[in-house]
Amino acid sequence: MNSPLKNIVESLIFVSQEPLTLERMQAVLEGVPAADIQAAVDELVADTAADGRGVQIIHVGGGWLFSTKPAFDREVRRLLQIERKNRLSSAGLETLAAIAYRQPVTQAEVSAIRGVDSTSSLKTLLEKSLIKIVGRKKAPGNPLVYRTSDEFLLYLGLNGLDELPSEEEIAKILQEEKAADA
Amino acid sequence: MSEPAAETPPIEETPVSPSTETPEGYQVRLDVFEGPLDLLLFLIRKKKIDIHDIPIAAITRNYLEYLDRKAEINLDREAEFLFVAALLIYIKSQMLLPRETDLAEHEDPRLVLVNRLLEYQKVKAACSLLREREDVQILQWKRHFIPPLQGESELEPVELSLFDLSESFFLLMKRRSADETRTIRGRDVSVEVKMKELVGILRERHMFDFLEYFEANASLEEALVSFFCILELVKSRVAVAVQDELFQTIRVWLRKDAHRTDHHE
Repeated sequence: MNSPLKNIVESLIFVSQEPLTLERMQAVLEGVPAADIQAAVDELVADTAADGRGVQIIHVGGGWLFSTKPAFDREVRRLLQIERKNRLSSAGLETLAAIAYRQPVTQAEVSAIRGVDSTSSLKTLLEKSLIKIVGRKKAPGNPLVYRTSDEFLLYLGLNGLDELPSEEEIAKILQEEKAADA
Repeated sequence: MSEPAAETPPIEETPVSPSTETPEGYQVRLDVFEGPLDLLLFLIRKKKIDIHDIPIAAITRNYLEYLDRKAEINLDREAEFLFVAALLIYIKSQMLLPRETDLAEHEDPRLVLVNRLLEYQKVKAACSLLREREDVQILQWKRHFIPPLQGESELEPVELSLFDLSESFFLLMKRRSADETRTIRGRDVSVEVKMKELVGILRERHMFDFLEYFEANASLEEALVSFFCILELVKSRVAVAVQDELFQTIRVWLRKDAHRTDHHE
């Protein structure tokens, strides 16, 4: 299908630097039923995922976004003059996971979960905009309260916090580890 | 330790597995552990211990053995490792206390530690799943992530968080205090010079507006010196300060009978 709607939707996603939500598209395309827009988006996602394209449309952060395909990472990095895209340190990822699952949390609560002072990890995550300060807790010392940010969803390719690995998935990992030990 | 070598992705850049099998046994580097809980979990796994029924004495001994190789951990982290060592010993002491009746299950002194270990274990497991996601996402470049090629562009409007704002505020404060220091060092205003300047102005214009004059003063120091001078001039009856009404501006006049001006100079 090569409907005008699909081409319009593709243009809208193209100009968006952050995930374009269905609601935003609906607001622009007055009167077009949500189901039609959704169908056009789904088709675009399938089209761009196919071979023969360098970019793809991905569903992330609650909306849709253009991204390059993983296969071309090396060339893209060369263009951008980035030697190596830095992954989070284990301490950083651990801190982020603790916040993601227990939010809203304070620094003391995160440190208690990890058994390690997490102040500097929190600072790094703040600088990377993966977490944000949402207020202060009504507790002694009025400690700052942290949550994960929209950037966090984008960074891990999630559409919402409900897409974080579930209890079952985590239990499965632990089960596998146990099996590996036996 | 929860990251089995077999499952680590091939693009792993730093070895995450804390141990390497050697003929002498396990060689463990403490600095690869994220913290004391990480080390404890590693020991529990290695000794194939049931996490719900930890032999505290044995695990404490093992744990302390690792701490003895503390040459590799720094002092800050050492405190955290020692805290858990103390916790282990405390739990053991609680278990040794003679009791009239057997403890119910929920009264097991180990429960505090077990719950923390279980929670931490979950976070570690979640981490390995999140790491997989990160490894995929990191290869997909979004327009959003593309940094400018040359230098930092300040023109792009970005959404600021409270954190950003407060940080730039402190930066400004720092810069300002640096400026302030320079001003004070840079210009010396003497009372003598200022006095001559003021008398000069009064002779020429007979009057000046107190507030206006202060606002024109470049630095706090200059303003202070001016103020002293005006007080001095009023005291020595060279000038008179007049305020028409409460809260109105104050005008400083040269006194008509100020013969003492010359004398003063």
